[in-house]
Amino acid sequence: MPFNKKYIRNFCVIAHIDHGKSTICDRILENTGAVEKRNLSAQMLDDMELEQERGITIKLNAVTVTFKSKDGNEYVFNLIDTPGHVDFTYEVSRSLAACEGAVLVVDATQGVQAQTLANVYLAVDNDLMIIPVINKIDLPSADIPLAKKEIESKIGLSTNDVVCVSGKTGVGIDEMLEKVVELVPPPSGDSEAPLEALIFDSYYDSYRGVVVLVRVKNGRVKVGDKIRLMQSGKTYTVTEVGIRTPKELSTGVLECGEVGYLTATIKDIKDVFPGETVTLENKPAKEPLPGYRKIMPMVYCGLYPVDSQKYGDLKDALEKLTLNDASLVYEPESSKALGFGFRAGFLGLLHMDVIQERLEREYNLNLILTAPSVKYRVNLTNGDVLTIDNPSEMPEPSKISSIEEPYVLASIMTPKDYVGSIMQLCQDKRGIYQDLIYFDDTRETLKYLIPLSEIIFNFFDRLKSVSRGYASLDYTLDTFRPSDLAKMDIYLNGDPIDALSTVVYRKSAYSRGLAIVSKLKEIIPKQQFEVPLQAAINGKVIARSDIKSVRKDVLAKCYGGDISRKKKLLEKQKEGKKRMKAIGSVEVPQEAFMALLSIDEGNEK
Amino acid sequence: MAESLYVHIPFCAHICGYCDFTKVIYQEEWAFSYVDRLIEQLDGLGINKPLKTVYVGGGTPTSLPSCLLKKVLAKLSTYLDKSDYEFTIEANPENLTEEKLLIMRECGVNRLSIGVESSHLKFLKLMGRGHNFEEAKEKVALAKKCGFTNITCDLIYGLPTETLEDVKQDVVALLSLDVPHLSTYCLSVNPGTSWHNQGYKEMDDEDAANQYDLILNEFRKAGYKRYEVSNFSKPGFESRHNLTYWHDEEYYAAGLGASGYLSGERFTFTKNLLAYLKGDFEGERETLSEKDLKEEFFLTNLRLEEGFSLENYKERFGSSFLSDYKEQLDKLKSDGLLVFEGDRVRCTDKGILLLDRVLLSLFK
Repeated sequence: MPFNKKYIRNFCVIAHIDHGKSTICDRILENTGAVEKRNLSAQMLDDMELEQERGITIKLNAVTVTFKSKDGNEYVFNLIDTPGHVDFTYEVSRSLAACEGAVLVVDATQGVQAQTLANVYLAVDNDLMIIPVINKIDLPSADIPLAKKEIESKIGLSTNDVVCVSGKTGVGIDEMLEKVVELVPPPSGDSEAPLEALIFDSYYDSYRGVVVLVRVKNGRVKVGDKIRLMQSGKTYTVTEVGIRTPKELSTGVLECGEVGYLTATIKDIKDVFPGETVTLENKPAKEPLPGYRKIMPMVYCGLYPVDSQKYGDLKDALEKLTLNDASLVYEPESSKALGFGFRAGFLGLLHMDVIQERLEREYNLNLILTAPSVKYRVNLTNGDVLTIDNPSEMPEPSKISSIEEPYVLASIMTPKDYVGSIMQLCQDKRGIYQDLIYFDDTRETLKYLIPLSEIIFNFFDRLKSVSRGYASLDYTLDTFRPSDLAKMDIYLNGDPIDALSTVVYRKSAYSRGLAIVSKLKEIIPKQQFEVPLQAAINGKVIARSDIKSVRKDVLAKCYGGDISRKKKLLEKQKEGKKRMKAIGSVEVPQEAFMALLSIDEGNEK
Repeated sequence: MAESLYVHIPFCAHICGYCDFTKVIYQEEWAFSYVDRLIEQLDGLGINKPLKTVYVGGGTPTSLPSCLLKKVLAKLSTYLDKSDYEFTIEANPENLTEEKLLIMRECGVNRLSIGVESSHLKFLKLMGRGHNFEEAKEKVALAKKCGFTNITCDLIYGLPTETLEDVKQDVVALLSLDVPHLSTYCLSVNPGTSWHNQGYKEMDDEDAANQYDLILNEFRKAGYKRYEVSNFSKPGFESRHNLTYWHDEEYYAAGLGASGYLSGERFTFTKNLLAYLKGDFEGERETLSEKDLKEEFFLTNLRLEEGFSLENYKERFGSSFLSDYKEQLDKLKSDGLLVFEGDRVRCTDKGILLLDRVLLSLFK
């Protein structure tokens, strides 16, 4: 088949979590005949084990398939998958930028949900043609008229072209694919113009270096081309070009409008951030493609092995993970309480969570993560400026003239009804009002400058709760601004535990200190002696809670049938103890170090 | 060779919300065929030597009608070493009658365990028991009249909302029964029980420890000796059968969900009544490793006031306790949880309440 971009459709599938995106993607792969049914491991696009378990897609992926339409022509479909969490909004927007259309999945039993909106907003931002699809119509509780009504009223899309499908039974999938042919525009662009290829994902391969997924916007790229990355300025020679079906199929060239992969002996994944533009060294594009943002870690925490012998293993594991994860950064650090470990930077808390789980599961490590922190800028009285991402490095108060913290510019898109309560939330979180932008009759976008540290602690969850889940959040790092901050230390049994130190806003220090020591009291099991827990600023105790000593743990009844059961319970408990860290004479569970995150700030006022 | 036998009668007139033993509501046709299967199972155990102890527990053994009770007890009496034995049966005040007591005596039962549980009506009701304390008291008197001298009564403490004062009254009431053996159990709320599902919480360990200490002191003052965590007796009235468990010795078992220990193997028969009634007794089996054997040795023996002898440990495991656990023992001693006296090692008063901590440090 001669190449003709008129037969190409580049699209993605967007949905609220659990609305059946992955099932629909699988059906698309089946109905296009690209992958035979027996080869589908439950859901093909979510290929990491962890993704399958959490049901969320973290890493993007793209697949090229062919579809024989009723109009008699064969079309090339490039299906691009997207992750669905605020930590990865930027990546989503880059993969959307590689498409012309989006299939929007709405669950017939649940209607339009918050995340649906958030993704629709991103799709609208990228000028995509949106095809609404109502899924799960096979379920008895499906309410198609209501789902349609919500698509019209909440999203503002016409339902003339809505398709009703069941990912489970396959009903309607072909009709949906015909709509893709009919409604999604073929890619535009000029094959003879200078190369502009958008990188929307990449992964590391130990034989070929970094494999880059691209969408060619203009021009073409082939093996042997000398390419330049316009943001990093680095140049490479292309060694392999092809498409993924999902198996890699080397084609030697990617034409304008196509989606595929290329390799060019790129050694470091940090050289190919999503949003980067690939062009030709000898015939460069004038400007890089729009929308590029440098990905920067937002949140830092300490990573320590529970068993200090495993430091080397942790180091190896982090090295391996960073091969595939451009946004993960780390460097060695040490803690008096926890020994040797690393300070690592993440895009957000979900990213941190995912990394922790991968380290524990794939590398069989028992880890302690310290409370997450942002980067602070400390102005010293002698005129020096320190940047710290670990609260325990905070200098003596007498040496500090001021502390600045990073603010983000948060854009919160919300149905009008929730504007009031979201503004209240932003005020509570020390937000500075910037703007309220009319979007359409039902929606508005609020803009606030908010300290990043406030965003980390519970902001997203509270935003979801005050907006019944409908508000969406995107944020970009803004400037550092001075704040009235102080380092709060936690004393366990009279000793300061550096790994539990945090930087707090002074006005909420008392309530936060109390919340922390109370939470720790719940988490740290009783010891044989009473253990005082104190929160202190500059040596002055502001909150205290005591863990009483344990008096009784013996099993009351232990007769014939109880012996095996009790033995097994104790063995399990013994395993649990191995996951605790002995600090002085106190055994502290891993969760204690994350206690800060689970504090319900609603109680602070 | 095992010299003890546990027999389980799973039927109850009604189910108590906290109970996690194998039990079903009494139904006549089940009970009849159950007793037949039980006797078949006993015949198949290969008991070829007279037994020193037999214990009939439940469930509620006295929920059986007299004819079935007689059938079971008569069968069991054939296994006894008539020259020296302990034959115990558990009874609930509500279905303990003079007729049943006489059947027990006739079949050689010489120890009776009565589930008194509390002297407070509100707690008895909360627990779903079908008796009041007066009735319990009458049944104890009736048992004595029928010739029972070796009687034990149970008390449950640590109940939701129970105060120290409530426990004090229970202690006085229990002592007034004037029986030579008492057991006192802190309520535990185990998964699978109705109380667990309803979200009942166990008492805070400090309050529970205070209640326990009160009971311990009062019972000691009244001349009872604590010989195990939850068991108290006048001299010579310790439960020989239960000591089999705590000395970590082997025993036969029969009945639905009953656990036995023979030839280094622990097993539990099926907990599925319908399977049992079909004669399909098999449940779970576990062959014990060297590690299991040591852990269970500590788990049982350290519940005893007298602990265990170093010589006994050496006989069983061929090595010295003191050198096997050198690292752990210093800390256990300095924390005041374990003491050594001559050949014996035992928990202190503090250690016996913190037995899980002691065991966790001895588990490897």
